[in-house]
Amino acid sequence: MSTLWKEFSKGLWNELPPFRLVLGLCPTLAVTKTANNGLGMGLAVIFVLTLSNMLISMVRKIIPAKVRIACFIVIAASLVVAVELLMQAYAYPLYQQLGIFVPLIVVNCIILGRAEAFASRNPVLPSIADGLGMGVGYTASLTFLGALRELFGYGTVFGAPVMWGSFKPFSFMIEAPGAFVCLGVLLAGMNFFSAWQARRKGGPDAVPAVSDCGSCGMCDMARKRG
Amino acid sequence: MQREALKPLTGRTVFTVSSPPHWHCGATIPGMMLDILLALCPAVVMAAAVFGMDAVRVMALSCATAVVVEAACCKAMKRPVSVDDYSALVTGLLFAFLLPAEAPWWLVMAGSAISIALGKMVFGGLGGHPFCPPLVGWAVCRISWKSSMDIDMSLLNADLFYPLTQLKHLGLEAISRFSYADLLLGKQLGGLGAAQTGALLLGGIYLLLRRRIRPDIPLAFLAGTFLLSLAYALSDPSFYAPPLFHLMTGSVVLGAFFLATDCSSSPMGHVPMILFGLLGGALTVIIRVYGDYPDGVPFAIMLANLATPLLDRIRPRPFGGAGRGGRAHA
Repeated sequence: MSTLWKEFSKGLWNELPPFRLVLGLCPTLAVTKTANNGLGMGLAVIFVLTLSNMLISMVRKIIPAKVRIACFIVIAASLVVAVELLMQAYAYPLYQQLGIFVPLIVVNCIILGRAEAFASRNPVLPSIADGLGMGVGYTASLTFLGALRELFGYGTVFGAPVMWGSFKPFSFMIEAPGAFVCLGVLLAGMNFFSAWQARRKGGPDAVPAVSDCGSCGMCDMARKRG
Repeated sequence: MQREALKPLTGRTVFTVSSPPHWHCGATIPGMMLDILLALCPAVVMAAAVFGMDAVRVMALSCATAVVVEAACCKAMKRPVSVDDYSALVTGLLFAFLLPAEAPWWLVMAGSAISIALGKMVFGGLGGHPFCPPLVGWAVCRISWKSSMDIDMSLLNADLFYPLTQLKHLGLEAISRFSYADLLLGKQLGGLGAAQTGALLLGGIYLLLRRRIRPDIPLAFLAGTFLLSLAYALSDPSFYAPPLFHLMTGSVVLGAFFLATDCSSSPMGHVPMILFGLLGGALTVIIRVYGDYPDGVPFAIMLANLATPLLDRIRPRPFGGAGRGGRAHA
């Protein structure tokens, strides 16, 4: 149980997908105009990521190494089509808001990254935990970023007005440059927090773990091939 | 410059150690910034004369905010407070120059703070910023609060006109009311300082004479604007405005002498500087002719700033370095 919890919880802070691994940035920047959009996108990713991790982990022994990427994509694509159809059926306004970024979940780096780095070499249960954790972390990040941008850009959070009456919406935040600035400031803040934590523990300033080895299996693969 | 004297026990200095450069012309950042402020003075006076106390209010508020925000950023970043080099004052004043005189106080403060914090301090302070800081503040404000930044809307009760929107929306006949003398004397709407074409020209020439800026960028910028608008005017004189009109309206002169020449966001070397200026000037005309924005100067300079690292690759061959054909170490 504790290993499952470990796999689940690493996606919540230490390997938080958009802010620590800096993966899946395209939807992170594009759909987070409002908190609602961020949440919806995150839920879709949780669904796809968990199921794709589970399926890939189940069939990992029978996938030939040479065509594994193609197999991962086929599995992810089938799941994304399912999500798309479900959204069209039950959450059509959200589907219209997210637009092209729902089909684009197929090529989301996180899906492929977790499949390659984790699901293809671990049993089913840890893979599900890993996918769920990463998905929840991703959702939380997107919702937070969306809420931040919506707060300044529209003066609302989840559609509810929270700013004072004469507040002039800071429209910069809901445009594309605002997304980049917001992301940069958040990354800086997280690095600052980590450094501060490391200092408090008495250790030397930790190098910010922007790209951890957990996200990429390239060294391992190279070793196997070599 | 850092000098350390090795003192023997007797107390007499025998040997002075310092890091190069050992020869120094005496130019300092505060000196340069004070010269720029002096060069901006005529425009400040003209802005106060044309737009009255409103302009003074905007300029004062913007400068004060810039200085306070820079001091706060330095404190937060645990760096020596660098506001005594006047660079924040220059940034604040230049940002105010781009605003309409009726800009609300929160807009001035927000834009000035963004210019310093996001345009300059985030990149490590003076010398590190890839964009001219006042333009960053201007762009953010322009995208966010369009109606407050709209020069025509904000000065509805003035009896002056903004030549560029007149040109854009009413065509060539509408700009016949502006004589070149009027435009030169600042009898036009625009950014409160940017519209003072003649005064800015005076300041620019002062900076050139004092050798605070090199002539390459300003002249190339003006030439780029002039040549491209001349090409348009020649192609259809009944539709496109004459080149001198383009030079004297909007913030072309301010951009050429004070914004595009910003040290860290413009290239070094003669050829890159000239290309940089031409690029900025040409983009200005293109944005004015085809774009949605009446005055293309701020965005044109920001786009040219983006090209700076690329242009800086054009550099003289080091003495004794590899030949044109191949690389020495490859």
